[in-house]
Amino acid sequence: MSWHVIWDNAAWLLEGFWVTIQLTASAVSIGLFIALILSLLTLSTHRFYRWPAEAITFFFRGTPLLVQLFLVYHGSGQFRHELDAIGLWSYFREAYFCAVFVLALNTAAYSSEIFTGAIRSVDKNQIEAGRAVGMTSFILYRRIILPQALRIAWTGYSNEIIFIMQATSLVSIITVLDLTGVAGRIISKTFAIYEVYIAIALLYLVITYTMVFIFSRIEKRLNRHKA
Amino acid sequence: MSETVLTLENIKKRFGDTDVLKGISLSAAKGDVVSILGSSGSGKSTLLRCINFLEMPDEGTVSLEGEQIICEGKATEHSKHNKHAINNMRAQLGMVFQGFNLWSHMTVLENVMEGPIHVLKKSKEDVKQQALVYLNKVGLANKAGQYPAQLSGGQKQRVAIARALAMEPKVLLFDEPTSALDPELVTEVLQVMQSLAAEGRTMLVVTHEMHFARTVSNRVIFLHDGLIEEEASPDDFFENPKSLRVKDFISHKK
Repeated sequence: MSWHVIWDNAAWLLEGFWVTIQLTASAVSIGLFIALILSLLTLSTHRFYRWPAEAITFFFRGTPLLVQLFLVYHGSGQFRHELDAIGLWSYFREAYFCAVFVLALNTAAYSSEIFTGAIRSVDKNQIEAGRAVGMTSFILYRRIILPQALRIAWTGYSNEIIFIMQATSLVSIITVLDLTGVAGRIISKTFAIYEVYIAIALLYLVITYTMVFIFSRIEKRLNRHKA
Repeated sequence: MSETVLTLENIKKRFGDTDVLKGISLSAAKGDVVSILGSSGSGKSTLLRCINFLEMPDEGTVSLEGEQIICEGKATEHSKHNKHAINNMRAQLGMVFQGFNLWSHMTVLENVMEGPIHVLKKSKEDVKQQALVYLNKVGLANKAGQYPAQLSGGQKQRVAIARALAMEPKVLLFDEPTSALDPELVTEVLQVMQSLAAEGRTMLVVTHEMHFARTVSNRVIFLHDGLIEEEASPDDFFENPKSLRVKDFISHKK
């Protein structure tokens, strides 16, 4: 075993570590925003609003994440002229952008299912109490429905965040130098396969359990109203 | 005769094939305490819920101190103007539910402050002062920081009453406020309601509490099969009922 490889490349691994964190943070925050819109569209009574949301969810839940990454990263070149025309090609030629794009939409599709279910299961009587004091739909959502839905969704949603963090490792295959991507480069120079993979596995464990710890603290706080 | 606050004219409501309300008109003057009685299925809860549009009446008008909304079923809330008018009217009608319907993620104090802050857009400081006054009135100022799940049923209902009062409504609507309570907790809620009646608040109360209807309210309305069967003073209603159905109803409750 040649553990010195890890120390020699610590700075590089740390860079990859930060890329993984950034990817996760961007995908989750953009995904959350999209997921909320998708949920509201799905819950709409008009078929016209529902179908785009359902189509996105259908596609991103129905195909493997890796295939989605390939499709967007390798496939966007097919539409270079069209993308150029609307000024998006400079984004889609970047692997990092494609990675965030796909991860965000993928997590949005799964999260929106979680949110939709949570919003549907908010106590109807409490919603009625909001209506009875004269709340507009907007205030009702902001003050009553979404805060309660968040509490219902939290366990499922925090699992989704952890899942998408681990799924970021797939982006190394489309050349993004995240933690896994950096590991591949180090291995191709040093052949220290076990050492490097053990090191990054431990780093993923650290990220995962830090998240688990934070999420359970948040869950405690969200549930402090329960007797 | 003091001024009329609330007027319902010819309210009709059907669910599917069932006519639940077949044309109900009534009015309440300032300070009136109207008990609405009737056997189950008579439409009394539906009537109450039609007043603040939790159910949209299919026909009829609801007027609250000069503001009037003409009802036409679901279409009532389709126009922006009516949507606004309905929310405006709801804000002036305090509702107390059978199942309390407190917001479980908010503390007692937050429950009471919510409407005045986010619907009436009052300043937080003033609202807090007032909220504590109302909580004090229902005897629960010491529970301000607790969550609904930590309270007994009677306490929850008293918080719900404080929440309704905090909106400073023109009329209070009570939908069987004691029906979900254990018998030993009924009194504390009735006492609060009695004190509100004594303050001269206008109240419409759907209830099964005959003692309350008799001693606290100044008018009793008996609903049967979607229509007003009898309307009388409590004394006349309980001593000299005109309708056979009311006689039957009273004899069962005694």
